[in-house]
Amino acid sequence: MINTLYRNILVYLDGSEGSMTAAMYAILLASASKASLHAVYVVNTKALGDLVRSRIFVDQEKAEFLSDLKKDAGRHIRHTERLAASKDVAITTASLEGSPHKEIVSYIKENDIDLLVLGSVNAIRSRRDELTSENDRMLRTSPCPVLVVRDSDDSIWQQFEEV
Amino acid sequence: MAFLEAIDKNLISIPMTARNGKEAVDELVSLYASYCGLSEKEKDDIISLVMDREHLGSTAMENGIAIPHAKIEGLKKPAVVIGVSRLPIDFGGEKPSSIFFLVLAPADNPAEHIQILSSIAKIVSSQLFVRMLSSSKTKEDVYQLFFD
Repeated sequence: MINTLYRNILVYLDGSEGSMTAAMYAILLASASKASLHAVYVVNTKALGDLVRSRIFVDQEKAEFLSDLKKDAGRHIRHTERLAASKDVAITTASLEGSPHKEIVSYIKENDIDLLVLGSVNAIRSRRDELTSENDRMLRTSPCPVLVVRDSDDSIWQQFEEV
Repeated sequence: MAFLEAIDKNLISIPMTARNGKEAVDELVSLYASYCGLSEKEKDDIISLVMDREHLGSTAMENGIAIPHAKIEGLKKPAVVIGVSRLPIDFGGEKPSSIFFLVLAPADNPAEHIQILSSIAKIVSSQLFVRMLSSSKTKEDVYQLFFD
């Protein structure tokens, strides 16, 4: 049954521990459902540009952070590739630049993704729209079903080790 | 949300007593250092990092908000120290600043650093929010503004 549900799974990487847990879960899910797996990190160049425009960043700092973010993207993508290889799951990875939720929505449409896997979505602690996270925006704007991975007791990490 | 998680009632200074930019940074970093039990040297190192960044270009915005920040090696989690001054302070911008957000973020998590700064920039773009923040009288008032 599950084979017919998911053909192309996408996991969003943002450098957080929650997104690495989501990657593990997506790998297990792709393995079980024989689906193709994609992992994408989006370097938030939209936020960098906004910070320069609002004078919080100077150009030199923007360049430094852009370099740091690209390294962070590479590190997390390589780690996800190693995790997938450890379970013999083929994976397509990409590091994109722009506004994360917009890039992810575009990627979903262009690659016929039928399931988006996200790490933690924050509890609602404020009703201010300005504080909506990128994960929250993806959850709300994704054109395909979204699976939010929670792992408060590390059971997914254990499951990943055991499978 | 990294920004909201970094806000702590114990890291709010109101009213600030600083009279200039250097004193403002000193006051906010000292509050953080005292709360976290940092040594004098650790505190001074953070002040230097923040001031070095300010020397590249002031983080004072046009609306009376300043967002001094630094990435700190070895820091485990980000912190936001909020300061509200009754008297505007010259922080090197075109207009003096009366509200400060000091952001200290782990050097190994640039995405989180960006996310926090970006959240602050978005929330202070609301004139109403800035007015409410400026008119806050207690730490509790300031804290509640973010968690209404």
